[in-house]
Amino acid sequence: MCTTCGCNVTPGNAHLAQERGAGTAIEVLQDLLAANDRTAAHNRAHFDAHGVLAINLMSSPGAGKTALLEATIAALRDRYRIAVIEGDLETDNDAARIRAQGVQALQITTGTACHLDAELVHRALHELPLAGLDLLFIENVGNLVCPASFDLGQHLNVTLLSVTEGDDKPAKYPVIFRASDLVVLSKADLLDVLDDFDPARAAASLRALGRDTPMIRTAARRTPALEPWLDWLEQELARPRALSPSLRPRIAAALRA
Amino acid sequence: MHELSVCQALLTQVSEIAAGRGAAAVERIVVEVGPLSGVEPALLDRAFTVVRTGSCAADAVLSIETPAVMIRCLTCEAQSQTAPNRLVCGVCGGYRTRIVAGDELRLRRVELRVPLAAA
Repeated sequence: MCTTCGCNVTPGNAHLAQERGAGTAIEVLQDLLAANDRTAAHNRAHFDAHGVLAINLMSSPGAGKTALLEATIAALRDRYRIAVIEGDLETDNDAARIRAQGVQALQITTGTACHLDAELVHRALHELPLAGLDLLFIENVGNLVCPASFDLGQHLNVTLLSVTEGDDKPAKYPVIFRASDLVVLSKADLLDVLDDFDPARAAASLRALGRDTPMIRTAARRTPALEPWLDWLEQELARPRALSPSLRPRIAAALRA
Repeated sequence: MHELSVCQALLTQVSEIAAGRGAAAVERIVVEVGPLSGVEPALLDRAFTVVRTGSCAADAVLSIETPAVMIRCLTCEAQSQTAPNRLVCGVCGGYRTRIVAGDELRLRRVELRVPLAAA
């Protein structure tokens, strides 16, 4: 029997065809994360409407994302209005650390989910007034794999690589490092005592990902060592953001081009 | 394991398509998962066996196509196949390259079983 259109169906075998039905193939060619991307675009439009620069901060656990934010807020809070969305599996310890710096922080606890997605950020935005803000940090769950696949609506991706990790991390986690607009070598004050981390090798493995992503060093516990990071932030803050099309991080521009 | 989230998004898309066509069941789902998508095909496959339970795709086969990473050099225009962490031009060594293939995370095709009256 023709299984495509049912042309061979006779009164004698019709009941078989009715039970089985006809096969049909549909070409879709739709991105699997299309729904997430639509919500991310909505979030981005929301940030743009309020003139807020949104930065997605990613790293492995313990690379110093929260410490960098504490030091950044202390350095910039007199000149810019800053807020933070914190993503963690459990506890609001990080949000409490940020609030201690005198700015708004909203904790998203993801339970067992290893990453933030656009919907979680969207829900958080309902509780976080953007009016009057200049800068919003979204501190993603500490993880170098899963966060890379989800656009949150941020304008820029910043990935921390602490010098207590391997200098070949960009080669091991190409998706997240390729998606980064800036790579921060954190805890760089430890380079003097750690002779197995070679910043040149880290830069080479980052460059091998086909991007000229800038790499800077910070040491959040040593205030003068924050200057390259603060300079980069101020340069991005000075850029007009309500442009059309909106500024999108490499992750979104490259993956969804 | 974000493959579970990706798989749930996949099933939502497939269910919408199946409902729109009045399908009785989904027979086969074809997706493209490139090495630079950040999704691991084996884990996606395993997640699918969990997520599909009780859905219109409960008996569906998931076919995962994995395109190789292909880049085009913006300096010398050469196109080359390469490793996910080696995205510099294989010909001139330039680092200004564009991904031509290998970052797909896409639902390509859905094969449905449609009751004859609805077909």
